[in-house]
Amino acid sequence: MKKIIASFLSIAMLMGLLCGCGAGGQGLTEEEKNTIVIWHDKEEAVAEALLAQLQESVPDVDVQLEHKSNLTEALKMVGNDPKAAPDMYFFAHDKIGVYAEMGILTPITELIPKEELENAYVGMTLDAATYKGEIYQLPIYFETLLFMYNRLYMPDERVPATTEELYAYMSEKTRGGHYGFVEQHSTAYYSAGWIHGFGGYIMNGEGEVGLENPETIAALTYHKKFVELMPGESEYATVNTLFQEGKAHATIGGPWMVSASRTAGMDLGIAPMPVIDETGLPISPYMGVQGVQVLKYAAENKREAVVKVLSGLMQPEVGIALAKVSGCAPAVEACYEREEVTSDDVVMAMRQTAENTIPMPNCPEMDIMWTVAADMLVNINMSGQDVKASCEAAQQSAEDLIRKMQ
Amino acid sequence: MEQSKKKRKNKILSSYLWSMPSLVLICLIVIFPIFYTGYISLTNMNVYHWFDYDLIGFSNYKEALLVFDSGFIPALLLTILWTVVNMVLQLVIAYLLASLLNTKGLKGRNFYRTLLIFPWAMPGYVSILLWKTGMFNSQFGLLNQWLEKLGLAPVKWLASDGLAFACCTVVNLWLALPFMITIIDGALQSVDQSFYESALLDGAGWMERTVYITIPSIRPIIAPSVVITIFTTFKQFDVIYLLTQQAGAKTGAHIHTILTYAYENAFITNNYGYSSAVSMVIFVILILFSYVINIKPKEEA
Repeated sequence: MKKIIASFLSIAMLMGLLCGCGAGGQGLTEEEKNTIVIWHDKEEAVAEALLAQLQESVPDVDVQLEHKSNLTEALKMVGNDPKAAPDMYFFAHDKIGVYAEMGILTPITELIPKEELENAYVGMTLDAATYKGEIYQLPIYFETLLFMYNRLYMPDERVPATTEELYAYMSEKTRGGHYGFVEQHSTAYYSAGWIHGFGGYIMNGEGEVGLENPETIAALTYHKKFVELMPGESEYATVNTLFQEGKAHATIGGPWMVSASRTAGMDLGIAPMPVIDETGLPISPYMGVQGVQVLKYAAENKREAVVKVLSGLMQPEVGIALAKVSGCAPAVEACYEREEVTSDDVVMAMRQTAENTIPMPNCPEMDIMWTVAADMLVNINMSGQDVKASCEAAQQSAEDLIRKMQ
Repeated sequence: MEQSKKKRKNKILSSYLWSMPSLVLICLIVIFPIFYTGYISLTNMNVYHWFDYDLIGFSNYKEALLVFDSGFIPALLLTILWTVVNMVLQLVIAYLLASLLNTKGLKGRNFYRTLLIFPWAMPGYVSILLWKTGMFNSQFGLLNQWLEKLGLAPVKWLASDGLAFACCTVVNLWLALPFMITIIDGALQSVDQSFYESALLDGAGWMERTVYITIPSIRPIIAPSVVITIFTTFKQFDVIYLLTQQAGAKTGAHIHTILTYAYENAFITNNYGYSSAVSMVIFVILILFSYVINIKPKEEA
C-alpha cells in the first residue's frame, strides 16, 4: 500500500512540475496592462538614470527594467511568447532587421505619428532605425568611436591630424612595453572605420558584401603597418587596460572609456579622427543608435501604456540625463539647445564625429558579417596571411552563409 | 508456477513504475530535444520563416553535407587527436595524484582533496576566461611576466596552432581533473588492502602491484566515468571557443573541433532548419563513435 501511495505521490509531484509549462490565460488585468517590462544590456548607471526619468515623466505606468546580458539570443527564443518576452527592449539599432523579419517588432510609427518623430529627432538616427521603409526603433542616444589620448604622454600639439602623422608617432613611441596607439584592430566594428576611410565597406545599405572590393583590400593593406606596432592581442580587455594604465598613449574607443579614464584620474583628450593621407577622408567608424523597440504583443495588448512610455522617452530630459551618464549624444534634436549639452565636450565631440560615421547596417545578414569579417581580419593581421587572398575567401564564405540563411 | 510468473510480471511492472519519474524526465530533457531537432531539421525555420515554417523534406541535409567539405575532415581528425591527448593525460595525471593522496601517513589529506576539487567549484566560463587573461595574455599574463623576469622574450601563447592546442589542453585538464581524481581516489580506496599485503609478502614491487592489483581492481569502477569523459571531451566547445575564437577576441589560432567548425559554418546563419540538420549529422557521428568505444569493454569483460 505504501508503495502505491509513494508512486502516486511521485507522479503527482512530476505533474505539478510540468503544470508550470501550461498555457496561460488570455485577457490582461488592468494592472498587467499598466506594467511595461523593458529588457536592456546597459551599465547600471544608465539603467538607473532611465528608470528615474521614466518614473518622473510617466508616473502612472509601472516600468520595470530587467538587465539581460544575452539579450539578443534570449529574444530569439521567447520573442513570440507573451509570458516570457518583454514589452520593449533597449538595444542598438543593428538588430532590428533580424527581429523585424522574425515578425516580433511593431513599427514605431503605428504608435507615434511619423511627422512627430521626424520633427523631434536628429535625421541620421531615424535613418539608422529604418528597415525596409519602416521605423522600428525610438532612438534615445547615439554613439560612435572617438579618438582619445592621454595628455600626460601625448601633448595637444602632437595629436595626429593624419594617419601618416599617427604612424610617425607610433614608430617613435612604441617601445619598452609602451605603445603610441592601440585599438581592437582585428574586430570588424573597429576596422570598419579604416575601411570606410578608403571608400570601402563590409556590407552596404543594400545588403551587398564588400570584402573583396579594391577599396577594402587597399584599406586593410595600408592598415597592416599600424597593426605591426600594436600588441598581438587586440581584445577589449587588453586594449582598455593598456590605455587606462598609461601604457598606450592614444586609442580609438567608445564613450564608455571616457568615464572610466576620468575616474582613474587621467587627463583625457578627445580629438577628431585622423585623416587618411591617401584618400583625404577621416577614419569613419560605425555609428550605433541605442533606443527602444516595441514587441508586437505589447503594442497590440497594452497600447495605452506603451504610447505613454514612448512619449515619456521623447522628452529632451531623458536624452540629456542618459547622455550625461553614458557619454553619448542624445538623439532628440531639442537637447542641443540646452547649455548643459552644448558645454559637454564629450557629447559635442560625439555629435561632431558622428557627422562622418556610417550607421551600422541593420539587415539580418549583418549578423554573419561580424563573424566572417573578424575571421578575415585575424587571418590578415594576426596569422600573416595574404590580404587579397583572405579578402576573397571571406567574400566567398560570407556569400555562402548568406545564401544558407534562406 | 502461475503465481511466480505473476510475481515476476508484477516486479517488472513496479520497477518500471519506480523509475517512471526519472524516465519521464529523461524523455523530456534528452529524448524530446533530439526528436524536436530532427523535426526542425526537416523545416525551413529561419529568420524569414520564424513562426510560419513548413516541412521541406531533406533539402537541409543536402546543404548540411556540404558543410562537411574540405574543412570538416581536418576538424574531425583534430577532435579525435584532442580527445586522445586529453584522455591519456587526464588518466595518467589523475591516477598519479590519486595515488599520492592515498599514500600511507599523508598529513592534511582532506586539505589536498579540497584543493584539488577546487576548479570544479568554479563555473567553467569564469575559469576559462581567468586562464585566458590571467595566464596566457601576452601583455599582462603571469606566464609572460615570468618570462620577462627571466629575461626572455614574451610569447604569444594563443596565436599559433600548436601552442594554442597545448594551452587549451592545459585548461581542459584543469577543468576535468577534479572529476577523474575523485573517481580514481574513491576506486583506490575500495581495493582490498589484503591483496597488497600478500603481494608484499610475495615480494612484489610498486610496478607489479600497480599493474596486477590496482589497475585491474579499479578498472570496472572507473570505466563508466572514462566513457562519459571521452564524450564530454569529444564534444568540448567552450574551452577552445572561449580561449581562441570568442567573438571580438580571436587570437589567430585555427584549431577547430567539429563543434566549433559547425558553429562558424552553420549556427551563425540563424537558420535553425539548416543548423538542426548539421546537429543531427554530428549526433549520428557521435552515436557511431560511442558504438565503436562500447564494443571494446564488452570484449574484455
